[in-house]
Amino acid sequence: MTEFLGYIRPDDSVGIRNHVLLLSGTLYANKICDYIAGIVPNTISVTHPLGRCQVRPDLRMTRRFLANTGSNPNVAAVVVVDHFREEGCTAEDIAHDIQEATGKPVATVNIRGEGGFVNAMAQTMRYAADFARVVSDFRREPVPLSNLLLGVECGTSDTTSGLASNPATGACADAIIDAGGRAILAECTEWMGCEHWLTERAATPDIAAQIVAAVKDLERRAMESGEDIRGSQPTGDNIAGGLTTIEEKSMGAVKKGGSRPVVGYLEIAQRPASSTPGLYVMYGPGHGGESISSMAAAGCQALVFSTGGGHTSAHPVMPTIKVTGNIHSYELMQDTVELDVSGVLRGEFSIKEAGERVLAEVLATCNGRLTKSETFRDLNSFAIHRVGVSI
Amino acid sequence: MKKIFVVEKEDNVGTAVGKLIEAGETVATEGRVTGLEVVAHADIPYGHKVAIRPIAQGEQVLKYGLSIGSATEDIAVGDYVHLHNVESNRGRGDRYAEEKECAS
Repeated sequence: MTEFLGYIRPDDSVGIRNHVLLLSGTLYANKICDYIAGIVPNTISVTHPLGRCQVRPDLRMTRRFLANTGSNPNVAAVVVVDHFREEGCTAEDIAHDIQEATGKPVATVNIRGEGGFVNAMAQTMRYAADFARVVSDFRREPVPLSNLLLGVECGTSDTTSGLASNPATGACADAIIDAGGRAILAECTEWMGCEHWLTERAATPDIAAQIVAAVKDLERRAMESGEDIRGSQPTGDNIAGGLTTIEEKSMGAVKKGGSRPVVGYLEIAQRPASSTPGLYVMYGPGHGGESISSMAAAGCQALVFSTGGGHTSAHPVMPTIKVTGNIHSYELMQDTVELDVSGVLRGEFSIKEAGERVLAEVLATCNGRLTKSETFRDLNSFAIHRVGVSI
Repeated sequence: MKKIFVVEKEDNVGTAVGKLIEAGETVATEGRVTGLEVVAHADIPYGHKVAIRPIAQGEQVLKYGLSIGSATEDIAVGDYVHLHNVESNRGRGDRYAEEKECAS
């Protein structure tokens, strides 16, 4: 049985990192989170421009993204920093959601309540320092691979993505599912034209219906803003690059989800209620930051990011392992891209073997190996999906 | 010899993954179908497809082991495969009923 070394949390989930999270509730708390993360060891900050003057559905979305990010098993303790109160998405609301879901230590700081920026800095630092000492006593323990929830994503795709790095990522997802684990495939704009390949594998008719509805819903939302995302697919660039039909383009993307049964449908940033092994599909846009943040919020401990052109994307909480099938991109971007599977295209190794290489990198990362982006803390990819307008 | 990459065994097309393949050039398959030699009937740029098996009009064009569309004419081994001889089966308003059936 394959195992990895993880931190067992109070809710029995297993983290592969042991972060103290400085979680900003709003724009005006971002700097405090960033400053303290630069001082106290083993702390990371998650910041964003939202949480104020949002319509209710957006406030609920912001609260879900923030609370579920704090609930990610890679987070050992959380300090939520906020400014004033926005009914429906206060620091206390977010802290409550995290505590209720996970039982992990959470503190809150309110900038106004503390008497201004300087005092709030001091209070945030006290909490962060206390938590940093507490969680430094936590130790990794061997656990079965079935505890892993893997996210898969692709970005800056090219010809090599559909042929090499996406199938290799899919083979890795399959191996994790076969070991009793779970994987999440999001970006439902990319299911368009190959919905049938997912619905055929859906465990229930409800899941199949949700898959079809998800694509239609995102398409409708885009159409309402004047963008026809189906009629223009594949794009002129895609055609020039050799892609003939929308299904060819989408299959290349969906390949990264592997080939196992689709056992659950998730709303964006929703934590799966079931631990049934298999592939879970999640509603969400192709926007890389929102997409990977929704998977981190769902509880993915690690993400495989397949890229053709190379990428620097990395989530603060969820180590992001980048894989390319393009040797030139690897040579250009190897400071942030972990794996080169271009050997598949030269016949040096099979997709199956490439999948084993991806899995080996995932396991090493789970056991504590830093991703390249973690080594320089370029953890740039936190973004919250938006539903409506600012008010 | 230049290579074309075949993702799955059942595929009837391969993808050019190196320099431009010129018309008349013999290329060899790599991937799940290896060593099959094909004479290209047209220039095949990087990322574009060439038939490695005959595909009759109306038959499915297979890449990733899955249909990427239907052949709109008979396609011979070595033919360039793109918009001129393949049409999508999906995302088409004119075939909405059929698509709905596939999805359910």
